[in-house]
Amino acid sequence: MSPLAAAAFFAVALVVVIVAFLAMVTYNAVVALRNRIDKAWGNVEVALRQRHDQLPALVDAVRDLMAFEQDVLVEVTRQRARYAADAPVAAQGPVSAATTSAVRALFAVVERYPEVRSQENVLRLQGEIERLEGQLADRRELYNDQVFRFNTTIAQVPAVVLAGLLGWEARPFFDAGANAEGAPDVSLDAHGVGPVR
Amino acid sequence: MLALLGLVGGLALLGRGLRAYRRAGRVAGIATSRIATLAAGEVRLAGVVEVDVLALVSPLQSVPCVYYRSRIREGSGDDARTVFDEERAVGFRLHDASGTLRVLPGGARWEAPLRFDAATDWTGGDPPGLNVNPGAAHRPAEQDREAQIAALLTVRPPADLPGEGLDGGSSLFASSLGAGGLGGSRRRDYEERRLEPGDTVTVLGSALPFGDLEAPVGTGPGDPASALDDPEVAMNLAEAREAGILRATPEEAWGNAAIPGFGIGRPTRVPELDPGASVPGLADGEAAAAAEARFAIPAGELVVAATTEHPLAILAGTPGEARGREEARALLGLAGAALAIVSAVILALTLPGLLR
Repeated sequence: MSPLAAAAFFAVALVVVIVAFLAMVTYNAVVALRNRIDKAWGNVEVALRQRHDQLPALVDAVRDLMAFEQDVLVEVTRQRARYAADAPVAAQGPVSAATTSAVRALFAVVERYPEVRSQENVLRLQGEIERLEGQLADRRELYNDQVFRFNTTIAQVPAVVLAGLLGWEARPFFDAGANAEGAPDVSLDAHGVGPVR
Repeated sequence: MLALLGLVGGLALLGRGLRAYRRAGRVAGIATSRIATLAAGEVRLAGVVEVDVLALVSPLQSVPCVYYRSRIREGSGDDARTVFDEERAVGFRLHDASGTLRVLPGGARWEAPLRFDAATDWTGGDPPGLNVNPGAAHRPAEQDREAQIAALLTVRPPADLPGEGLDGGSSLFASSLGAGGLGGSRRRDYEERRLEPGDTVTVLGSALPFGDLEAPVGTGPGDPASALDDPEVAMNLAEAREAGILRATPEEAWGNAAIPGFGIGRPTRVPELDPGASVPGLADGEAAAAAEARFAIPAGELVVAATTEHPLAILAGTPGEARGREEARALLGLAGAALAIVSAVILALTLPGLLR
């Protein structure tokens, strides 16, 4: 082999090595992204399940003290009942958003009942559910951010080439969706809570 | 010869660039978590560095920090040699808008900004900004007021200086520089990279309860604990135990340094001192309890550390800045590949002439 041919062979080999390396790193990166989405979703599910488990206790605690606000309690119970752990992500988003709205409406009404607010167990449950709502909001944000990274990556070079070959598809976001079916009216007026003057 | 250098240098740049590409992918592939609602597992965090229990004092500029890499090179050209090279880190707290979290940096890859880069002037004089640390390499995060007053009022006779105060890294520093310290007429280049309290950092690693850490001291190859798996080291340790060389307790091994609060506040019990030395005041009940608990981390507390699955990286700046640096290196690696190819062609064209 002449020196020039050897140099050409070296150049081609180097390019092949670089392309192979990029393909390997990209494949591993996309697999890692997919696993991170699954993990982030797992963490969202934990928070959803904890909220689901806590809500009956809150409703029970305030039921007798808020006899005239049964519609708010029924709404919380109804939205809670819509939760299905094995439902797809796209379906869980609107349900979770509607539950959050119902819980917020309940908290807004609770503010009008000093005797309810003074109950220690109600305060504790309210604090716990607020903590879970905060956790859920953060984890939803993290999940969506992770999905955004995955969807962006598989739409960009070089992963888009592998996505076509390996059938990678964009993942759904966890959000309220355009049509949040069953979302309650959470305006303060709807529950007789006027603006603070 | 130049073509051969280009070939080797280009391949080296390429290797570095490919590693940087992989690291850039890791930085970009993880979403930033909020500390308050952190879940266990691989995480990326961005926040501000806060001192936890102890801060380091950098050797060249005496600046409190949580990480430093200091280097002094003496001479120039082929004659140049490194006379001092030290890298140290301590655990710190990372603070974001939602809370704080401990970062245990054992086995971490650090990327810190170059904070001091200077050389002696043509007369051999020290560069501006050089402020060699004459004291301990560590200092407490919150210094005890009484201890600070006592330190201010303590007169240290010059005769005591060589042996006093130069503990930890600084004594190594002093000895590595020889008796002449930083004097001398040869050119010296000083370089110090640091991460200081208040710096913004990006941390990639594993969040896990402290109690689940397998090797909280560190998992890097430089960690002395990692040598314990070596059968030869284990045999030497067994022999040392039989010979009574190994101490059984921290008190036996470290003396006063094993007393909580000693050297970093007020000791919880009377240390053994030379008869002429002044005895420091003892910590009262509350201070003693605080000193005892100073290094205690609850087993259930979430910390960020290196694990075998997720190595720890502590990078200066925001995630975007950290990623940008890695991508720049990756691009440089591609330039290195082009350089290697061009060099190979030049080598191929000139080699037959050289061999003839």
